[in-house]
Amino acid sequence: MSSTSDRTVATTESIEPLRILITALGGEGGGTLMNWIVSAARASGLQVQATSVPGVAQRTGSTSYYIELSEADTSTVFNLVPLPGRVDIVLSSELVEAARVLEAGYVSPDRTLLIASHNRVYATAEKIKPGDGRYNTESIESAAQALSRHCHLIDLQQLAQDNGTFISATLYGALAGSGALPWDISVSRAMLETSSAAAASVRGFDAAVSAIGHTMPAKSKNASADTHPAADAATPDSLPLLIELATQRLTDYQDAKYATLYRERMGRLQSVDTEAHQPVLQEAARRLANWMSYEDIARVADLKTQPQRFADVRAQCGASDAQLVRITEYLKPRAEEIADMLPVSIGRRMVKRVSAGKSFPLLGSGRRIPSNAAWGYWLLRTTAALKRWRRRSLRYQYEQQAIEKWLSALTTAMPARPQYALVLAELPRLRKGYSDTLQRGLQSYNTIFESMVSPAQASHFEDASAVDLRKAIDAALADDNHKALNESVIKFVPKPAISWPGNTASTD
Amino acid sequence: MERSFAKEIESLRLGDGDTFYGEGILAVTKALLQSGVSYVGGYQGAPVSHLIDVMVQAAPQMAELGVHVEPCTNEASAAAMLGASIMYPVRGAVTWKSIVGTNVAADALSNLSSPGVTGGTLIVIGEDYGEGASVIQERTHAYAMKSAIWLLDPRPHLETIVHCTEKAFELSEASNTPVMMELRIRTCHLQGSFTARDNIAPDVSMQQLLDDPAPHNYEQLAHPPVTFGHEKRKYEQRMPAARAFILRERLNELFEGRHREIGIIVQGGIYNALLRALLELKLADANGDCDIPLLVLNVVYPLVPEQIAEFAKGKSAVLVVEEGQPEYLEHEIGSILRRSDIQTKLAGKDVLPMVGEYRSEILIDGLSRFVKQHLPAAGNLHAGEAYAAEVAALKKQAGQLLGAPVPPRPPTFCTGCPERPFFAALKLAEKDIGKVHYSADIGCHSFATFAPFNFGNSILGYGMSLASNASVASFQKRPPLAVMGDGGFWHNGLLSGVTSRLLNGGNGVLVIMKNGYTSATGTQELLSSPDSRLKLAAAEKSATHGEHTIEDALKGVGVKWLRTVHTYRVDKMRRTLQDAFSSKFKGLKVIVAEGECQLERQRRVRPVRTRALQAGARVVRTRFGIDESTCTGDHSCMRLSGCPTLTVKSSADPLKTDPVAHVTNGCVGCGLCGEVAHAATLCPSFWRAEIISNPNWWDRFKARCNRWLTAGAIA
Repeated sequence: MSSTSDRTVATTESIEPLRILITALGGEGGGTLMNWIVSAARASGLQVQATSVPGVAQRTGSTSYYIELSEADTSTVFNLVPLPGRVDIVLSSELVEAARVLEAGYVSPDRTLLIASHNRVYATAEKIKPGDGRYNTESIESAAQALSRHCHLIDLQQLAQDNGTFISATLYGALAGSGALPWDISVSRAMLETSSAAAASVRGFDAAVSAIGHTMPAKSKNASADTHPAADAATPDSLPLLIELATQRLTDYQDAKYATLYRERMGRLQSVDTEAHQPVLQEAARRLANWMSYEDIARVADLKTQPQRFADVRAQCGASDAQLVRITEYLKPRAEEIADMLPVSIGRRMVKRVSAGKSFPLLGSGRRIPSNAAWGYWLLRTTAALKRWRRRSLRYQYEQQAIEKWLSALTTAMPARPQYALVLAELPRLRKGYSDTLQRGLQSYNTIFESMVSPAQASHFEDASAVDLRKAIDAALADDNHKALNESVIKFVPKPAISWPGNTASTD
Repeated sequence: MERSFAKEIESLRLGDGDTFYGEGILAVTKALLQSGVSYVGGYQGAPVSHLIDVMVQAAPQMAELGVHVEPCTNEASAAAMLGASIMYPVRGAVTWKSIVGTNVAADALSNLSSPGVTGGTLIVIGEDYGEGASVIQERTHAYAMKSAIWLLDPRPHLETIVHCTEKAFELSEASNTPVMMELRIRTCHLQGSFTARDNIAPDVSMQQLLDDPAPHNYEQLAHPPVTFGHEKRKYEQRMPAARAFILRERLNELFEGRHREIGIIVQGGIYNALLRALLELKLADANGDCDIPLLVLNVVYPLVPEQIAEFAKGKSAVLVVEEGQPEYLEHEIGSILRRSDIQTKLAGKDVLPMVGEYRSEILIDGLSRFVKQHLPAAGNLHAGEAYAAEVAALKKQAGQLLGAPVPPRPPTFCTGCPERPFFAALKLAEKDIGKVHYSADIGCHSFATFAPFNFGNSILGYGMSLASNASVASFQKRPPLAVMGDGGFWHNGLLSGVTSRLLNGGNGVLVIMKNGYTSATGTQELLSSPDSRLKLAAAEKSATHGEHTIEDALKGVGVKWLRTVHTYRVDKMRRTLQDAFSSKFKGLKVIVAEGECQLERQRRVRPVRTRALQAGARVVRTRFGIDESTCTGDHSCMRLSGCPTLTVKSSADPLKTDPVAHVTNGCVGCGLCGEVAHAATLCPSFWRAEIISNPNWWDRFKARCNRWLTAGAIA
């Protein structure tokens, strides 16, 4: 230490180190990747330092690793934290994690090579929204293109899976293949040969090397289209196609006559108009089809016993022909669900009894049904056969009434307020789920319909605000306890549980 | 234990001239052996868990040297262990995470530092401050000052860290004072190298036993009246001795620079970040050759007044770069300058932020303000502003292009974690019992404070949840709930929480998550960890089932209402919670929520399964899935789970627009999805599949019968 203490002023120019930032999710092997890079640097005779904040790294939170490299004959003072705008290479194991790096200003068009896996691992915040809470990935692609010097967006997760390895190996391959490291690919590759499951790692590494070779190395606006597989199946917007799909579904759900009822209902909407209402009609076509094929116990039992479904389960499990698969269903029909299927008068009585707090034998407790064992299969098939009585059932009756009510509002709104009609067409989106979730959805639907749609319909939608209705739907989909909806529609402000002088000022 | 350190243990054997490659905290471990320690102890916690883990795994090798290893049950017991050094000429070291660990250890530290030590005593502090920190942001520095314990803060550079570790023992012995060495998070995990030396076998150790105990010497007891003498000795003898040692050994480093009219005094730990900031301002090069003179304090307490005065003399201004609050160094340097009547302007927290990690971008801003005021001749006065503008523009452009803030991604329960089902059960139970005051604790279960569970009204420290709601219990209609892990229970919870509540006959519900290990810190062993016999008997099942140490302890101290429920029995857990909250019994009600840590269980199960598959034996793998056709996309299952493998995907059905639920291949078939689907009457979309590899004749016979009886529908 004393040897360094009396240094003189610098006389020679020194070269800045190469800086690499890796961002990943805890448990993805980011530390392993960091160590591979460090060993390859050492094997190449370079000075290297790496560090991380793993903390609770196993537990799938965002985490990062940082590496600096320099020539062997230097005595670089390495930094332990990346400096925004001064990172040469950013590696991200997931698209939103790449967005996080972009957001923090680490990626600079002057110097940063960005290599990110194009796959998504949805964060809890995105998953728990009753609607669609997923982050917009197109904006990440454009930001990545605009803010980096070079950018490679490749689905390295899929590539890893295809090669039976982990994303750390494909990220490493992509980095090595990018040519940004100051040593040969073979040096990088050699580090894998001592790892556990070396063969698979090397396979993934090689696949990523060649994948990155095929992507556009230069900054290119259409690179993203080349570098990641097609996005999730595009939603076909063509009305005839939607109606055709709905017809098939409803014929399967009930019968051809029921499908005709659907087309008759769509016809009513189509007769209102024309081209101008295409988006409304498309939206309504979807919602009506889903609504009319509401999931009662007969429907669920029917869907669960389709031959194709058994094949799908096998495929999802990746079961080979030599393996056997036993399937267990978790069903818990309550008296309410049974009442839904019964004739109106009996169903009503049953519901009454349930609301009085009385129970029924055998109902309301969880059942595990082995759907690909003979008895379980036939039990479900018998339940599916109940669809024959569906038209006389309690639920059929109230669903059809509600559908007619919505259709009537929609047909009035379409000519008067097309914008409003578009939002109104989406409203049945709230009617989804089972048991309590369905009840909450229905409650949201009814609250909005009674407090906003019905009054507006009475005045022929003259002052109806599409924006307010949109807000109400979004609020209903924002949480599962009606908090947002109550606050936005009913303008209900709950009183603070404890009052003290400080919180009176905030009630405006 | 979560990680195997077999490779690292080998590098602990390196000798003179070998190059050690590895992590900072392991370099410290090696330095301890090179210093001839007789015993090592501590309590785990990021960022120093690896020190404990590697020591425990290397215990046989350490025993060869004679070094005793003691993973303690909390930091107080680790600190108290250092008391050996008061009486005997042995070197010892302990480690823990700070600030929390030092808080727990504080009583023992006062009693240790008062009489002072004979053998060298080192406390390796994982200073959990800044990005990635999991504890309250406070400085260990305060403890150093109030107890007169010397504090090292070495440059984050393995050679320097190892050198400081070795010198710390000498400093401790030269001044009869315990020494702390603080290492920040990134320094603990720093991958670097240093030239090793031979390990030293201690003269007094488990291999070299002493015949007799030390003689009774009242002077060495932290007990009045000699404590008054101890206080005097701290400042009249030990501190001057320490200062002389620091100067003599040149522990602090002076780097000259051509702008002699100003200077910077910096904590060793911040040196690298500072140099990068100076590089950006073109005031240093990448090799650390700097235009401004630097005094790098590898020892931050005590300061050596002569050294500070000497450095400041003749300069127009000195900047103190000191991370965290309050600014103890700056205050002390101010006093030194005033007492010596040196008219150098003192800068520090006036140009740098009071709080938060000192990353280079923060330092660039502060430095450029300092330089502008005091070195107007410098040619790059606007470099700092240009940098700040560049980064602000980058962030702004990114924000605009992205369109919305990126969703947060805090850590969460692992796939298959047995604690998750408990929180699903609690969320369901709340519908009946209503909201209760929830006192959270430290451990994996504190992830329940994040979405989708959002539980917790307060967190008061490790093992403190029950103790913390004693007052709440007195003024609330519903009894409050405290949740702690088995780690917290043994660390503190049994005494601070349970016995105190029992003494006072207070009402309350305590849930102990019995997963068998201190999982959040890397699954270290506990008093109640399942032993190898239980693990063998449990095979693929939870091994915590047959372990009753916690229950026995609770009964022993007099808990009357006690239930143990496996966490995967979601409905039973919900009913048990309802019972506890509606019980007529007004006293402490304890539910032991049992289920072995999934990380440990998987580690045991995986190799067994692989071997069985290779041998062609019948193996059943379980996973869950979701029928896309019946999923309505309401995501209520996710609001009760938060499992990483239960996620969303776009629906393949063009008639559906909302994403549907989907279980990824990572599913370990823990069973929560099915339990929750039942307990919450959620949705019929979940299925469980048992995939049977190498089926036996009975499996095949049943499958054939089923196919025949369903006319081939289930093929």
